[in-house]
Amino acid sequence: MTRPGDILLSVKDISLRFGGVRALTDVSFDIHEGEIFAIIGPNGAGKSSMLNCINGFYHPQEGTITFKGEERRQMRPHEAAAQGISRTFQNIALFKGMTTLENVMTGRMLKMKASFVEQAFYMLRGRQEEIAHREKVEEVIDFLEIQAIRKTPVGRLPYGLQKRVELARALAAEPQLLLLDEPMAGMNVEEKEDMCRFVLSTNHELGTTIALIEHDMGVVMDLSDRVVVLDYGKKLAEGTPGEVRGNQDVIDAYLGVSHD
Amino acid sequence: METLYLILIDPFVQMVDEPSFLVEVLIGGLTSGVMYSLVALGFVLIFKASGIFNFAQGIFVLFAALNFVGLMDLGVHPILAFVITIGIMTALAFAVDRLVLRPLVNQDPIILFMATIGIAFFLEGFGETLWGGDVRPVQVGIPDAALFWELGFGEILVQSADLFAGVIAAFLVTVLALFFHFTPVGRALRAVADDHQAALSVGIPLNNIWVIVWAVAGFVALAAGIMWGAKLGVQFALSTIALKALPVLILGGFTSIPGAIVGGLIVGAGEKLFENFWGVPLLGGATEDWFAYIVAMIFLFFRPQGLFGEKIIERV
Repeated sequence: MTRPGDILLSVKDISLRFGGVRALTDVSFDIHEGEIFAIIGPNGAGKSSMLNCINGFYHPQEGTITFKGEERRQMRPHEAAAQGISRTFQNIALFKGMTTLENVMTGRMLKMKASFVEQAFYMLRGRQEEIAHREKVEEVIDFLEIQAIRKTPVGRLPYGLQKRVELARALAAEPQLLLLDEPMAGMNVEEKEDMCRFVLSTNHELGTTIALIEHDMGVVMDLSDRVVVLDYGKKLAEGTPGEVRGNQDVIDAYLGVSHD
Repeated sequence: METLYLILIDPFVQMVDEPSFLVEVLIGGLTSGVMYSLVALGFVLIFKASGIFNFAQGIFVLFAALNFVGLMDLGVHPILAFVITIGIMTALAFAVDRLVLRPLVNQDPIILFMATIGIAFFLEGFGETLWGGDVRPVQVGIPDAALFWELGFGEILVQSADLFAGVIAAFLVTVLALFFHFTPVGRALRAVADDHQAALSVGIPLNNIWVIVWAVAGFVALAAGIMWGAKLGVQFALSTIALKALPVLILGGFTSIPGAIVGGLIVGAGEKLFENFWGVPLLGGATEDWFAYIVAMIFLFFRPQGLFGEKIIERV
């Protein structure tokens, strides 16, 4: 299932510390264009920290991250977004007071070319733009099958749908790299199946490269082309799901190992 | 019985007997109410976008008015003075962002609130140093004449300056409400207000947004300052009047622009009606100073989120 593409994102020797706590130590891996890449590991392994480094919420003390061949060290989240990295969050970070449609529209924020002033006061160009973006947003809404809740404030939606709206917002930005932090957490079986379907069709139909964190091993094995395993902030293994599943270190990390 | 009659029945009998007086009182109340709304809007803007209750908003009103009047006294044309003052308020927004908000990012709201108290004291002193502490009249050519209107039930007296202020304030309030709801920038502002992290991840630069919000709040403060200044003269007591926005916010809800508007109107009209029909005959007057706060307290008992505020529901 591996589709060897060019390297889209390269993480090299990343170390991240919070005071004395080492969240990540010398982690390196590459994400190739067009693949679904999973980051797995036990709780506290540094998975979310890794995503946060990639999209600029955290700045690692050491190491480099290269995106589309361009190395960067101190990047702010909105710059990462401008370069084509969008994401979802472990604990859903939606704009709860806004409707689904408005939430997804915010995903287009960076694509809007008219200046702030133009948008606000000189309505002509702003209007045309708004309509064009609205079309794109409707496509995404159709794609994720959330037409029925377009006008509902997202605070009122059930958890599973909120996760889907969050995905829609990320997709509206037409990202090259999509980061999903536990997209199936807290979902029931049907919701998980739906979400898997959407992740796969995002990858296949839109060609988006995806890096995801997930705890459900079944999901990870089914979805991903390649997997990296983290434990205590260090890389334990990397490879196809099959390779990783057979790795003794990984089995030990997950099941524990007797020290006698 | 006699007292009950005076409290519960008599005021309404008077209202019916003298409808023209009632209308006059109402118009007076609503025009000052709309100015409360204007001040309250400044609070709501900043609270929505950054979750900070900006204690200095009242001083912003005064500071903006001081600069405006000061410039005019130096012989600057009113329109130019207005533009320069907007520039000053924008520069102030930048300074607040760089010197106060950024170093304190991710701190508890209470810390930021304390910081705004600091800003308030600083601006009060700085304003006085720059322009002196005298009461200054504002003459921007707002027509001030007594108009007599013939209505079906009698004649009423309206101050044209009041009407003018009301219209301007209503216009500003409408523009801001539309701006927030129907433009991408407004959407960005609301997004930031809702969730900082998510806003960053969709590519909204937080810092720029804060500068915009504080600048808009400064602009609103200027408008409010000119209106109040034209009515009462620019004096340091303005900052206290601006605190009337507090009960307005409690009534309307801290996060709601329509709430600020309706809250302002209710407080404005309510305190004038109470003063004229209950306060003066029963309590000897001067109820305007505290009426709004009592109403706010009652609201806090029964509807702490305000009329339009988002109800806080925590799932457990």
